[in-house]
Amino acid sequence: MTGAFRYWIAAAVMIALSAYAAAASLDLGRIFDVGRDLRIAATGLDEKEEIAVGREVAGRTLGAAPLVPDPELQAYVNRVGRWIALQTERPDLPWHFGVLDTASVNAFAAPGGYVLITRGLYEMLASESQLAGVLGHEIGHIVQRHHVKVMQQSAAVSASARAAQHGDRGILVNNLIGTGAEVLARGLDKTAEFEADRIGVVLAARAGYSPYGLVEVLHLLAARSAEDSSLALLFKTHPAPGERLTQLGDALVPRVAMLPAGQEPAIRPVDPRTPPPAAAKPAAAKGARALQQQEEGGSTTSPGGGLFPGGGALRGIFGR
Amino acid sequence: MLLAAAWLAAGSVAAQQVTLERDSPLYTEPRLDAAQVTQLKLGATGEVIGKQGAWLHLKTPGGSGWLFSFNVRFPSAQAATGDSGAGAAAGRLFGPRRNVSVTSTVGIRGIEEEDLKQASFNAGQMKLLESYAATREAAERQARGSSLAPASVEFMDPKK
Repeated sequence: MTGAFRYWIAAAVMIALSAYAAAASLDLGRIFDVGRDLRIAATGLDEKEEIAVGREVAGRTLGAAPLVPDPELQAYVNRVGRWIALQTERPDLPWHFGVLDTASVNAFAAPGGYVLITRGLYEMLASESQLAGVLGHEIGHIVQRHHVKVMQQSAAVSASARAAQHGDRGILVNNLIGTGAEVLARGLDKTAEFEADRIGVVLAARAGYSPYGLVEVLHLLAARSAEDSSLALLFKTHPAPGERLTQLGDALVPRVAMLPAGQEPAIRPVDPRTPPPAAAKPAAAKGARALQQQEEGGSTTSPGGGLFPGGGALRGIFGR
Repeated sequence: MLLAAAWLAAGSVAAQQVTLERDSPLYTEPRLDAAQVTQLKLGATGEVIGKQGAWLHLKTPGGSGWLFSFNVRFPSAQAATGDSGAGAAAGRLFGPRRNVSVTSTVGIRGIEEEDLKQASFNAGQMKLLESYAATREAAERQARGSSLAPASVEFMDPKK
């Protein structure tokens, strides 16, 4: 690919993403490198690309809510998460785990090894085995490349690939940026969520924990009111916890006698000196900038909705 | 606040009543091949008196025994009335036994979809996140400290 052409792609990407000044931290031109279009449509992003996309998505989530200011807690969650990730076939991804300082109850995974759990959910947990179940679910999304598969399945990507075959690379790039964003934003279907639940149980068990931590968390969530504002996003975007319990129970019946009992270590509490999370400002009117963390400049949304509208490729246990 | 109060009532001994989500046998022991105490019907209720792994120890009018925990639901906080804190039954059984700051702020708005849509990349926080990454060795050391021994467990298929 010529340097001029690379520049054109980069420019097009930056125009499309003018809303996200910080997107410059990510070489989107590389991710949507036209030379790779057909391969992406056929096989998805390669690992480097996956990590770069995930970093962008995780960084934007951190723009909505910062990390809990408790370094010991963050380091602890990283050790727990890494230990569980070591039980997968992708042990050496650059795994990153963080606790977001928000009262919302949710957890997210972004491609390439980024897992974020909210303080609202973290403080509901009674044991490290419950944390392991939650992180295991998120790790399951990443290991299974659920987001990449959704993208691959997209007719839009196929169309882009066809456009590439006809040599119209300009159309191709626009398609990948515009409709590719929709693909990433679509969220996972129930099948993927149920699969991540089964993986979460198995990974917790492999890591030596009680396999039933995730089950307990689902019971806790099923009992929370659907009108509880801290669960709004959770209930909006996911199968009901009760339905997940039923699915998980059915899958577990033949295995329940064989699963090891495992350990239920105590979970590290948030440092009690840490102040409660500040209430999020309402996202209010369209175009308002809510919860921006000292990001200056830029408009709020690009006409095409940006690369990652709605949290983009986030894959949550209860979110996306 | 009601929910918060109920949540914080962890440790109280109010009945932890559950409702059967489907017909399900009540076993004499927490094993699927144990003898059955009785067959419970969808909608039946029981009082949780203990838990063990995937199992709940349940007291019902037809006798006490063990129930596969996936087959019950705890009452929702929404349905809870008065100060009995019935909605917190799941919390008492599975939730933390400590005061927590976040659940006492229930009602305070957290991040929602719109916030995620409108947020922009926070380079400073990303740098912080990356600084907390754990090495394989650190993860293994902590696991050993908690007596976590890796186990060989195959992935599960969905129910056929």
